[in-house]
Amino acid sequence: MSDTAPDRIHPAARMHAEEYRAGQIDRREFLTRATCLGVASTVAYGMIGLDAPALAQTATQDGGSLRIQMEVRALKDPRITDWPQIANIYRGWLEYLSEYQRDGSIRPMLLESWEVSDDARTYTLKLRPGITWSNGDALTAEHVAHNFRRWCDRTVEGNSMASRMGDMVDPETDQIREGVLEVVDDTTLRLNLASPDIAIIANVADYPGAVVHPSYDGSDPANGDMIGTGPFRLESHEVGVKSVLRRREDFDWWGKEAEGFGGASLDEIVYLDYGSDPAAWLAALESDEVDMLYESVGEFIEIMDSLDLVKSEAVTASTICIRANQEAEVDGQKPYADVRVRKALQMAMDNNVLLELGYSGLGVTAENHHVCPIHPDYAEVDNPVVYDPEGAMALLEEAGFADFEHELISIDDDWRKNTTDAAAALLRDAGIKVRRTVLPGNTFWNDWAKFPFSSTNWNQRPLGVQVLALAYRSGEAWNETAYASPEFDAKLAEAMGIASAEERKVVMKELEQMLIDDGVIIQPYWRSLFRHYKQGVTGAEVHPLYEIPTYQLGFAAT
Amino acid sequence: MEPLSWTGAFAPLVPVLWTALAAVAILALLRWIAGFFLSEGDTQTQSDGTLAVTRGPLEMLDLATWWALLAALAVVAIFVAGGAALAEGAGILGAMSRRLLPVWIALASTFALSLTFKRRLGLYGKLFDSTIGMIGFALVMFWVFAAFMGAFGLIVTHDPLGQSGAMKNELPGMPYTRMLGEVAEGSYPYYLLGGDNLGRDVFSRMIAGSWVVVQIAPMATAFAFMVGITLGLPAAYKGGRLDELLSFLANLILAFPVILLFYLLVTPEIVETGIPAYMAAVMFLFPIAFIAILLNSRYRTRPALNTPLLIAVIGGLGWVYLSLISERFGPLDILPQALDLFDIPGGILVVFVSVVFVNSPTVFRIVRGLAFDIKTRDYVAAAQTRGEGSWYIMLWEILPNARGPLIVDFCLRVGYTTILLGTLGFFGLGLPPESPDWGSTINDGRKLLAIYPHPAIVPALSLLSLVLGLNLLADGLREESLRD
Amino acid sequence: MLAFLLRRIAVMLLTALCLTFVVFFLTNLQPNLEKLAKAEGNSRMTDAEVTSFLETRGYARNVFVKYGEWLGVLPGFVIEQPDGSVRGRCFERADSVPPDAPAFCGVLQGDWGYSSVFRDDVGSIVATRLGLTAKLMFWVMVVMVPSALILGVLAGMREGSRTDRSLSTVSILSTATPEYVSGVILIAVFASSAVGLRWFKGTAASAMENATLENFLLPVVTIALYGTGYIARMTRASMAEVMTQQYIRTARLKGVRFRDIVLKHALRNALIAPFTVIMLQFPWLLNGVVIVETLFNYKGFGWTLVQAAGNNDIELLLAVSVVSVFVVLVTQLISDIGYVYLNPRISVA
Repeated sequence: MSDTAPDRIHPAARMHAEEYRAGQIDRREFLTRATCLGVASTVAYGMIGLDAPALAQTATQDGGSLRIQMEVRALKDPRITDWPQIANIYRGWLEYLSEYQRDGSIRPMLLESWEVSDDARTYTLKLRPGITWSNGDALTAEHVAHNFRRWCDRTVEGNSMASRMGDMVDPETDQIREGVLEVVDDTTLRLNLASPDIAIIANVADYPGAVVHPSYDGSDPANGDMIGTGPFRLESHEVGVKSVLRRREDFDWWGKEAEGFGGASLDEIVYLDYGSDPAAWLAALESDEVDMLYESVGEFIEIMDSLDLVKSEAVTASTICIRANQEAEVDGQKPYADVRVRKALQMAMDNNVLLELGYSGLGVTAENHHVCPIHPDYAEVDNPVVYDPEGAMALLEEAGFADFEHELISIDDDWRKNTTDAAAALLRDAGIKVRRTVLPGNTFWNDWAKFPFSSTNWNQRPLGVQVLALAYRSGEAWNETAYASPEFDAKLAEAMGIASAEERKVVMKELEQMLIDDGVIIQPYWRSLFRHYKQGVTGAEVHPLYEIPTYQLGFAAT
Repeated sequence: MEPLSWTGAFAPLVPVLWTALAAVAILALLRWIAGFFLSEGDTQTQSDGTLAVTRGPLEMLDLATWWALLAALAVVAIFVAGGAALAEGAGILGAMSRRLLPVWIALASTFALSLTFKRRLGLYGKLFDSTIGMIGFALVMFWVFAAFMGAFGLIVTHDPLGQSGAMKNELPGMPYTRMLGEVAEGSYPYYLLGGDNLGRDVFSRMIAGSWVVVQIAPMATAFAFMVGITLGLPAAYKGGRLDELLSFLANLILAFPVILLFYLLVTPEIVETGIPAYMAAVMFLFPIAFIAILLNSRYRTRPALNTPLLIAVIGGLGWVYLSLISERFGPLDILPQALDLFDIPGGILVVFVSVVFVNSPTVFRIVRGLAFDIKTRDYVAAAQTRGEGSWYIMLWEILPNARGPLIVDFCLRVGYTTILLGTLGFFGLGLPPESPDWGSTINDGRKLLAIYPHPAIVPALSLLSLVLGLNLLADGLREESLRD
Repeated sequence: MLAFLLRRIAVMLLTALCLTFVVFFLTNLQPNLEKLAKAEGNSRMTDAEVTSFLETRGYARNVFVKYGEWLGVLPGFVIEQPDGSVRGRCFERADSVPPDAPAFCGVLQGDWGYSSVFRDDVGSIVATRLGLTAKLMFWVMVVMVPSALILGVLAGMREGSRTDRSLSTVSILSTATPEYVSGVILIAVFASSAVGLRWFKGTAASAMENATLENFLLPVVTIALYGTGYIARMTRASMAEVMTQQYIRTARLKGVRFRDIVLKHALRNALIAPFTVIMLQFPWLLNGVVIVETLFNYKGFGWTLVQAAGNNDIELLLAVSVVSVFVVLVTQLISDIGYVYLNPRISVA
């Protein structure tokens, strides 16, 4: 937590507290919203009359080596990182301005606090004092400004932070807009936005948002000793095999003294790659080759429960979307441009069956609009999709696509493949012709956004509007449905500028209903994530965004 | 409904079977060990000219082993025959035996007919003199009949692609239920070999999978043989530069690790470029060329018959060829839709082409080797002095005389192709993901192998038995053809 | 003999050249390059980004030129980047071409290139992975060769006997069981909780550093099984043939003990054919190695092949093919030479 409570509490946060007391939002939603507005989480808990939960500070022993099963991919410049697994490795030495917590709140990390103006256009970021880089430099506001410039550089191929920076990027120059950054003093940076954006703090907490030293040139982080602010350094990195983090000696990590952080008790963290086969992960746990899994999936959860392991669960807004690309041409026609076809596909699905067969029932069913009840801006829609296979076939006949054979594509992976297979079976039950294609991972991601009809997994983002802006706004790079509705865009822009939940909910409800009525996606369920680890491992609870905060890991003192 | 047990009413026979099998194993081992210490009984010629064999302990052991083996076989026969009669009353085995009744009938009639007329059936008939050959033939024909009848909907109990949420990973013999809606009227009440990870019927997928194998493996092998023969005969007969060039190319392909070749040819990216389609266009020309040359060399001297025959054959095959390679919106979209006889699903075609491509050079080498040997024979020299054309000599003199080893190799190669298909499925290359073919199902099932082995073990044993059958068949054929 | 060797080596080089070009061509097709760009850059890049990625990194050029660079007969490319720095085949990205950068850097110069998946020199990756596979293969040979020879000799010394029949059936059964079937069955029986024996481990990942009976037996046996049957059948056939030879009959008539006949007279001649077969088995074993390394999660050469092919890692895949082609051709050569040396009746003119 920050040492000094923010001087002022954002008015919207007070309003959210009212809403919480009125029972309109639950605790988790309140925490996400309030902390997003710059309220420290202790204060946020206080505002609703609760004590902040004492951080589980079980006594940890100093030292030790922890072995984690996780895919070891090639490292990349953080801003173009496309997998949380990559970030989990450089998380050892690179840190973030803010950190998304397991309970849904966001706490300052390299920042000490932030303030958001009432119109969500001015952000004042205050840096935590006394943070040094591993080469001895002190972290300054100018360094953070440099990172914002990096994040806003759209000329870099695959810079995924650029899409998260929204309006800060100048579409003319593909660089950061003039006048956005204002370095007030050594520890204060102000952002002056052209239009309101409520998601900035959440966005810089996302895994590509690691803060790098100004001397970093975008090369492979595994080359040499990359400068960072974190307590570990990369000892060795062998793609597909293993990666070793070793604690930096003679380095005074800021987190040791900072309240609420601490830790970094391990000497060594070893990430071991056991491929994508969960049976191998189980075998690795059973034969004592690892102490902790990255994720436990499907049927294996049950088996691991029977072993002497700790299980942790996170309810998330991670999901799978089975979607049609409205612009895609199949055999010379655009079958999915017709809303009746898309609606028919939606009506032929029973989300309960997809959850049961696809993910062993380990989650909650969703309503085909990609906003999750755990999102603070979720609103219940009035007209959800009803399972109606006959109606689906009738619609298809009406649209003249009754004989059309759909090719349903998915990646070759346990739960995504199973869910898509189950969807294909449901379509056949309804009398719709369907052919399944499964592509290996690399091939799949080549064209993922362009497939006519396929399934894609989406990870959780803290706010509902974030997902909608990333995936359904016209012309977005990640808009895999080719959904282009000016009406939707306008409403979304409106929602993005509303800090008040009740007001935003009204707009969100309309947005959600639009996605349903236009049959944009089949989005059957929200996954719960699970992780098993050995007794005595601390700080290893599964995080809804798969983050492994390396400094929290340790072994309980015996 | 109660789940089915494995043997139902015949449960009391199970201990008998185990006892008999244990006895066979122990006695055989004893016999083997005893063979080192004891000598066999003497054969003595008696004054009346007959032979008398003294019965030593070894002969007694032999006899006991035979009886134990016969007892075990008898129990198995009861399971099969009784099962076909009692159906579910005799548990899972009984129910399966009943479902397979058409196969039993077909097998029994094939054997009855073949054994009756075996003296008139040439090499095929001789097969029935060899126990090994008969066992192999029975195994192979079992799967062939099962595949064909399964394809006509006779044996399968459920849709091999149909899923039921309630049947996920259920053990063999569980009653069929659905999570969504009611069980349709008249549908089969059990999942005989259990459900897989997606609640599909393992038994039906096993049968449907055999159809994929029976469709592709022999056809692909036959194509590989036509390519290998069409190139191998002239290489050996003409020799020289042609031989050197073709041998170099064959060795080139053979030097490629098969898996690497598959990874290079069967990925979606390569399919997108159309390379497999072009390869198919080239490779499918060989059978036409082969048949055309075969006929032409025979009837060359009778143009009145030859010309119309060739026109008809090439025309017909050409049409089939064009509809085979022409695919709508594919890389080769030659034939108008109205004339296109059939479309091969893209995945199958690619797999087919790769398997032919991998097998052809080996066949080429075998044919070349055989032809080298045969071309020095007198009858070839005689044909040459008669002034026969070289293609006539190659196809009508050399080839028939090489048929023995080639038929044996064909059987082995079908088995090998089955294994290759499985390898492709194992690496998830080519065939569609839901495909019930054995390789894919083994690969799907192995993920949950540690907890639910049945979805992987069933196709694994099926593949094993078919390949074993083909090997035994080849062995039997080799033995019998050597006796010529 | 020398001329024979030289000719064989020339053919080998020509074969390797042709094969690497085929691999090079296939991996450099446009869809494969796009796959590579997305794997190396960001998996969710746009088309324009992919194009510029390929151009700035020298992929979007003539395939023959690129092949020449890989071979080392053409100078490596130097391409100026949009930001003014330069990128080249033979040096890291820099502001200007470093003066000490070589002009040529290809296979001929001993530079096997850089793996885009593993971010490491291809040479060192292949060396490490080959080492691990060599360990696996060594134990496979230790298990496979003696058991196959014993099976074959026992079966072949009395052709048609009951021992022959049963052992032959065993070897046919083992040739009919591909690795992915036997592997699955072995894991199910000996390493799964369903059967419950749990004697061995279902993964060999730990065997890379420390191979024990527990973690290494199943993968070794799985590969060995498939080959055993084949070699045993060859040995049996060869043994059976030798046992019908005149000199064996003579020895038997002279009253030499059967055991001595087998060990002293028959064995040497009977082992010529299996020797060539064992040598020719190497390329087939590579298949098994790929399957078993995937199944048991052992990160050797086969695993590298799958990774390289799956990710279209061009230079690694080329090195992998060169190595495997080399193994195939060298074993063929050894088998031919060995055949000549072991068999007194054949000589190379």
